[in-house]
Amino acid sequence: MIRFVLLSAWIGLLVVASHWMGQEAYRWFPVQASNAAPLVDDLFSLETAIGTFVFLGVLSVLLWVLLFNRAEKYDQEDGPPMEGNTRLEIVWTVIPLVIVMAIAVVSIRVNRELGVLGPMEHVHGGELIEAMDHGPGASAAGSGSLQVDVIARQWSWEFRYPGAQVSATELHLPLDVPVTFKLTSPDVLHGFYVPAFRLKQDVVPGRAIDFSLTPTRSGRYRLRDSQFSGAWFAANQADVVVESPEAFGSWLEAASHQPLQPGLSVAADEAERLARQPAGGIRWATVPPAPPPLVNVPGSNSLPHDA
Amino acid sequence: MTVLTPTSPSPSPPKSSPPTWLRYFSFCTDAKVIGIQYVVLSFVFFLIGGFLAMVMRGELLTPAADLVDRTVYNGLYTMHGTIMLFLFTFPVLNGFNNLLIPVMIGAPDMAFPRLNALAFWMFPVFGLVLIASFFVPGGPASAGWWSYPPISVQNPLGHLINGESLWILAVALSGISSILGALNFVTTILRMRAPGMGLFRMPIFCWTALAAQTIQLIGLPALTGGAVMLLLDLTVGTTFYDPTGGGDPVLYQHFFWFYSHPAVYVIILPVFGIFSELFPVYARKPLFGYPFVAIASFVIVGLGLIVWVHHMFPSGVSQWMRDLFMVTTMLIAVPTGVKVFAWLGTLWGGKLKLTTPMLFALGGLINFVFAGITGIMLATVPIDIHVNNTYFVVGHFHYVIYGAAVMGIFAAIYHWFPKFTGRMPYEGLGKLHCLLTFVGANLNFLPMHPLGLMGMPRRVSSYDPEFAFWNVLASLGAFLLGVSIIPFLLNMVSSVVRGEPAGANPWRAIGLEWLLPSPPPIENFEDHVPTVISAPYGYGTGKPLVEHQGEIELALALLEGRA
Amino acid sequence: MSTSSPLDPSAAPDPAAHGEHGGHPNFTLTGFVIFLLSESVIFLAFFSGYTALKLSATAWLPSGVEGLEWQTPLINSVVLVSSSGTIALAEWFKHRGSLWGFRAFWLLTMAMGAYFLLGQAQEWRSLSFGFTDGTFGGTFYLLTGFHGLHVATGILLMALMLLKSFLPGNYDGGEQGVVATSLFWHFVDVIWILLFLLLYVWR
Repeated sequence: MIRFVLLSAWIGLLVVASHWMGQEAYRWFPVQASNAAPLVDDLFSLETAIGTFVFLGVLSVLLWVLLFNRAEKYDQEDGPPMEGNTRLEIVWTVIPLVIVMAIAVVSIRVNRELGVLGPMEHVHGGELIEAMDHGPGASAAGSGSLQVDVIARQWSWEFRYPGAQVSATELHLPLDVPVTFKLTSPDVLHGFYVPAFRLKQDVVPGRAIDFSLTPTRSGRYRLRDSQFSGAWFAANQADVVVESPEAFGSWLEAASHQPLQPGLSVAADEAERLARQPAGGIRWATVPPAPPPLVNVPGSNSLPHDA
Repeated sequence: MTVLTPTSPSPSPPKSSPPTWLRYFSFCTDAKVIGIQYVVLSFVFFLIGGFLAMVMRGELLTPAADLVDRTVYNGLYTMHGTIMLFLFTFPVLNGFNNLLIPVMIGAPDMAFPRLNALAFWMFPVFGLVLIASFFVPGGPASAGWWSYPPISVQNPLGHLINGESLWILAVALSGISSILGALNFVTTILRMRAPGMGLFRMPIFCWTALAAQTIQLIGLPALTGGAVMLLLDLTVGTTFYDPTGGGDPVLYQHFFWFYSHPAVYVIILPVFGIFSELFPVYARKPLFGYPFVAIASFVIVGLGLIVWVHHMFPSGVSQWMRDLFMVTTMLIAVPTGVKVFAWLGTLWGGKLKLTTPMLFALGGLINFVFAGITGIMLATVPIDIHVNNTYFVVGHFHYVIYGAAVMGIFAAIYHWFPKFTGRMPYEGLGKLHCLLTFVGANLNFLPMHPLGLMGMPRRVSSYDPEFAFWNVLASLGAFLLGVSIIPFLLNMVSSVVRGEPAGANPWRAIGLEWLLPSPPPIENFEDHVPTVISAPYGYGTGKPLVEHQGEIELALALLEGRA
Repeated sequence: MSTSSPLDPSAAPDPAAHGEHGGHPNFTLTGFVIFLLSESVIFLAFFSGYTALKLSATAWLPSGVEGLEWQTPLINSVVLVSSSGTIALAEWFKHRGSLWGFRAFWLLTMAMGAYFLLGQAQEWRSLSFGFTDGTFGGTFYLLTGFHGLHVATGILLMALMLLKSFLPGNYDGGEQGVVATSLFWHFVDVIWILLFLLLYVWR
């Protein structure tokens, strides 16, 4: 009886600790800046809580046997010869099965909600075939939606706003307006990844990939290349500025009057500096960086960012 | 093919010729010599791969790319991964297979000893090819160990011999060597077991080796096919993966992961086998639920072959594929859970002896459970979309590969060291090694998880300043891991030279290998293979493992002058 | 010897009890069957790559290429596939103990394999596209070339077995080499049938 009470108390303690850990998990993420972020964070919090319970449970058993099942130094006896228990085996096959399948069902549901659909069409013979996405962005799409063409290069990001004939190396997005990106790459694989949005999509050369989201928080965030793309992969980052639709509108308007000028490319700058330096240390072969794209607004990539 | 022709029945070599150290540098067909060759050479590469990791962690101490050039960093991380997988983990486990399978099943040697030696001697060859690629113009391969096209076929200098082509050559040779090894291991296990040793009386290590080598036989040819096409794209100018010629870069990813995900099970399954061997010995109890643990290995193989797309969730695969592969991936938790619970059941109520191998196994188990939990998170599509290709993944698989697999490998080394050298390793140094490894691994790899959640991509030579704190911790952990190797090397060298004589069965373990003298004679039991009469791990049951066990033990005791 | 073996000879099990485990048995056939199963995966990989590329292609044939001529390859295929029959006949003669019958049909099989290879070489020479002409050219030469390599290997293996058949007492310990070679040849033929369907029949 007393053992039952103690065991229940211990399990209760583990449940509390797991719940606490699940809540704590939200703090490990960057700020939530898109409509996808809360869904991802909730799911992660849930799995952190379940995972914490499993981990602490296993640890408790290990701690118990380490404390109470140690052999004395000169004890040469064997333990009780328990060879197995079919009922227990069934229990610990079925319970994990139920847990992971429950997680899978929840995740598939979240997946549907996110609607982060993969690329739609292959591209062959240089002819781009576009397809519509059905994400939260696209479903809300109407006159208020925005299209941005994203070109990932070795190593720079270029953003084109086809409606306004504007291009930039800093991505500006209006708050709470669904946006659809068309991701293309002329050279190698890249990854379009904005941690604050919790979204990521590889950019595959030869394909045009449609990808939607809705920013939900104003601020300055980082866009990072997430699929290894060569020498300056780490420096292939850009800033994403989410601002009110009015501010975005005036930015776009002002940008359209700017003359074309070289955009930001850390890679091109560094390569130029290295070329001027006398060769020191080991340096291995790389393709040269593409020249910085000619854009209306270079923007900045050194201002403080929120995430 | 000629290597497969029958071996002429040669009389066993005269025992009078003293075994010299020269055997270890020759085309020796003795599985125990080959096993030691594999283990020792793989640790040479382990040190090289570890050194590369130290340089990388040195670079990542600070946000800027300041220690080495960016191109050098990319080469370092590519070679670190390649060396650790193809030149350390696979070969060291093949070494264990050579050492353990024959003695555990009572076979005199492998089924194809010459093929076995050939498979081993390919290892220094492709090892040299890979290391040589550091010195070719343009440097080594630097597209990551995945070698995804188009980046891997960019070949900036345009030479025919370049880092990438040498890399593909080395990986292909490694694949051929592994297939030859797998043929040997599978045939040996299926055909050469001791009388009375049915499949369900076979030690779990042999079950897991059989399962792992089955994966090699199914998966490696697919990788080899994909690599051949990559090499042709790189050198001949075909366009299998080049979109400008109608090819598809994502096709390569399918070939690659069809093998390279199950490859993780090739590594972790034998480590599960090691855990299953060690826990009964040091808890003095039978393995809990032996048949379930045995079968679970093959359930993992079956599922492991249909999960590869989870590496490609953001690569551009359709939604139904993402959902399907998420479900299959999560199902792997079930047979894995069966194993973990079986180990806990084995420990429960036992009489634990906290020796060095036991401590390594326990530490490996804790790390593995943690890695399993982050594995479920990674299988979850929406979470994976966020953390894919970030440090979260790096943290996860280092918990598997270092936290669980390398710790299991060390456990095995300390456990079977007396058997194959005849001498005991030092417990004090061993425990220090274990402590440093456990603390170092956790300090190194735990901080990678918050980094990934915050959005730090993997494979970067520089990073934003907000990631600095966790990176410094990780680097300190890495340097601690570097230090942890010192007591290990000290221990191994000094124990071989002047360790206490071990005797046939220093751990009072049950198993055919412990009924042989330490080190075992060249042909193990030769023609006197004992007949197995009960299930393995009969601790506390009082049932002898083999017929005439008392006489065998008496003979061993007489041999050692104990009786 | 006795010092290194801990076992009292009286403890040794009856040699018959461990059957093949006594002495140094060979398991060539077991190993070879496993090898063939593994080898089939590499073809499977190439087939699935071919299928994936062909299905997703918008322009499969390079410009100016009409597609493959299939009549001559069909004749070659019939020759290759029927050589599976001749090799089986050779084995049958071997079983009956008629070594000369075995050698005759073995040689005939080799000749048929060589005929197939020659036909393949002739086809390659007459084609209007090369290895680097898109994924169509790449996969065509990769698949036929890799298969041709296997045919050549099979012929070499048969030559080796033919030479060995002249060794006195060669078959005293069984004939696993012959059986393995014949298995390999059947394997090469089955692969060719699949290849022919994929390359020439599927338009």
